[in-house]
Amino acid sequence: MGDSRIQGYAAAIFEVARAEDKLERVEDEFFRIARTFESSKELRKTLSDPRLPIDRKHAIIDDLLGGRALEATVGFVNFLISTGRISDLPAIADELVAKAAGSRDKVVAEVRSAIALDNATVERLTRALAKRTNKDVEVRVIVDPDVVGGIVARVGDIVIDGTVKTRLTKLREALTG
Amino acid sequence: MQFIAASLILAQEEAGGDEGIRILFAPGNELFAGISATVIIFFAIWKWFLPGFIEKLEARQAAVADQLTAAEDAKNDAQQAASEYKAQIAGANEEANEIVEEARKAAESVRADTIARANDESESILTRAREEAATEAQRALDAAKADVANISIDLAEKVVGKSLDRDAQMGLVNAYLADLEKDG
Repeated sequence: MGDSRIQGYAAAIFEVARAEDKLERVEDEFFRIARTFESSKELRKTLSDPRLPIDRKHAIIDDLLGGRALEATVGFVNFLISTGRISDLPAIADELVAKAAGSRDKVVAEVRSAIALDNATVERLTRALAKRTNKDVEVRVIVDPDVVGGIVARVGDIVIDGTVKTRLTKLREALTG
Repeated sequence: MQFIAASLILAQEEAGGDEGIRILFAPGNELFAGISATVIIFFAIWKWFLPGFIEKLEARQAAVADQLTAAEDAKNDAQQAASEYKAQIAGANEEANEIVEEARKAAESVRADTIARANDESESILTRAREEAATEAQRALDAAKADVANISIDLAEKVVGKSLDRDAQMGLVNAYLADLEKDG
């Protein structure tokens, strides 16, 4: 799928969510669903399986998100399933979040942490990243046990990595030569 | 002469004195006729027979001389041919010796080249084998080191992951934030 089509889907979701005045929650839910989609191989495989009927996929989404996410968010995800673009969900979510942050004159800082961060820590992280990048950042935290410990933040092309996983990887590279 | 003397004595004794001796000598006319006939015969022989005979003899002699000369020439030719043959044989022997020597040198050169090439090839094979063995040993060592490192890191990852409780995780987050704020 080309960038223009991803941008097109993200723009459509952005405009509808903003029109319904639910942009902030929709983008946040989309972001979380996209990260779950990325991390769950089983969910990716099931929703991308062309042999599985679309109704069955919709039912799975309803079971997973029903009552936990806005109807608009569920509707957008089902729309991507119907159009066969569900595999592009992470890219569309990233584009949507970036577009939404851009509309607030901010850039998205994607932060991966082994544990959930409290609001104070997120605030502190936001300030530190803003100072570091000289940009008004909007932090999106992803709880990712794969990082083992610590944090990695990505703002555009800038990656600030302080994870145990990366340190262990560097140690592994040094040992294996 | 003894025979003639003995005959005269015997004839004298047989005829009884001079009469006996006269028996031995022909009468004068007979003698003259005999001598004339003899002279005529000798003359005829000298005049007609002897020249032809001498001519034939000389021809024969010349023929013999020619034959001798031819034989001598043939002998000389044969000797010359033999000499040439010997010379040729000697030349051939020399040439054969040269050929044999060249062949020996060529064979020696080929043998030396073959030995040198075989030595080079064997040295190359040995070097390659040593390098391959060293590379293989290094590869095995690297693989073992990598395996040990991977196992150690995997183990460390699990141990660290389990040992990092909430407080330890927050400690890492705070350390990260401190570095970020300090660098910023």
